[in-house]
Amino acid sequence: MATDATTELLAARMRLPQHVVHRSFVAETVVLNLNTGQYHGLNKTAGRMLEALDGAPTVAAAVPELAREYGVEAANVESDLIALCQGLLERGLIEIVESEPA
Amino acid sequence: MAATLARAGIRSVALGLALELDPAIDVPGLPPAEAAALAGLPLTRVRLDAGELRRRWRAVEHGAERARELRDGDEVALTVDLADPAGYLLHAPGFARILVAPDGGELLCEPEREGSEWTTLVFAQALPLAATLRGLEVLHASAVAAPGGALGGGAALFTGPQGAGKSSLAAALVRRGARLLADDTVAMQSRGGDLLAHSGAALLQLSAGEHERLRCSEHAELGPGANVLGKHRFAVDLRAGTAPFGGLFLLERSPDGPALERIEQVDPFALLATTFNLSVRTPERLTRHLDLVAALAATRRVFRVRIHPGTDATQLADILLERLPEL
Repeated sequence: MATDATTELLAARMRLPQHVVHRSFVAETVVLNLNTGQYHGLNKTAGRMLEALDGAPTVAAAVPELAREYGVEAANVESDLIALCQGLLERGLIEIVESEPA
Repeated sequence: MAATLARAGIRSVALGLALELDPAIDVPGLPPAEAAALAGLPLTRVRLDAGELRRRWRAVEHGAERARELRDGDEVALTVDLADPAGYLLHAPGFARILVAPDGGELLCEPEREGSEWTTLVFAQALPLAATLRGLEVLHASAVAAPGGALGGGAALFTGPQGAGKSSLAAALVRRGARLLADDTVAMQSRGGDLLAHSGAALLQLSAGEHERLRCSEHAELGPGANVLGKHRFAVDLRAGTAPFGGLFLLERSPDGPALERIEQVDPFALLATTFNLSVRTPERLTRHLDLVAALAATRRVFRVRIHPGTDATQLADILLERLPEL
């Protein structure tokens, strides 16, 4: 059952901050935090999730396409995506886009 | 501009830089270059000026940050301190201090000993740092122009941990007819989608062990030699200028060797670790470094060379020469 925090996360829009760059390699994606000079490695699936997150209007909106792509249940993708978002947010590698006031 | 350079100092080229060398400094391995060879390269001036170095550094040293420290056992062998707007101060205690301008355009030198041994710090550390600041990426590698048209006639770069045998292998290939492009530091650049390797100083240094292994006649094949700071330095016939990237060979000691294989899934962190420069951490430089690593991986010309402890550099060179045409 989704908690308030995960519901909020699923409804949020994510983007890569300006101080983060990433490059894809055959088996992984390297994410570089230019503020700290630290490199982070993501496996191929997490790298693809990062790309999907960066272009999606919300985290939840990225789920169906990824589920189709990998042929797995949407619920599984959703929980993986939430875990990835939490990890990336903790490390300052993605940020939540604040919605503009109406 | 050319006339100004000719008056001001000796012109040379190394690591993708057009160098203007103070005539008072005798830096080995940097012979005069024709004006055409300097065209289009960023200029770096190397000056002997202890007074100016001290004046600039005194003004900023209270705010300096240590960017790097290298130790040889308990002794500090090299420190690199950064302070704006003076730049990077390299200090090899007992040898020299060199202040590298933030844009890499000037080196101010202050020797701490007589003789010319201190100039090792110029080509071994200060110029690679200046090249990085000038927009090139410097790998901790040795390189030769691949012989016999192998690797499309491009540069074969050898990298690996300390003692892996980078210089020994390059020397063995030179003795087999290859031309040295650079020893220990190779400046790389991406230009118009192509990767280029720039030549370094016309010097090749061998460890005492490798020097001992070779016969006198084999030493002579490398060029005039001298013992400098515990290493045997040879003035070699350099393949000066730029060469297209041919292949990167990661050397590792392994009981499974000798073996040479293409790496299908390159570990980007292994490529990142081949950098020579750990001091420049600006966002532009970090991004450029990652871009170079991505470009190297995309070539699919990264190879692993496993070297059995019983295989010497000459045998390894022969194995490589046999295999290079098929790569």
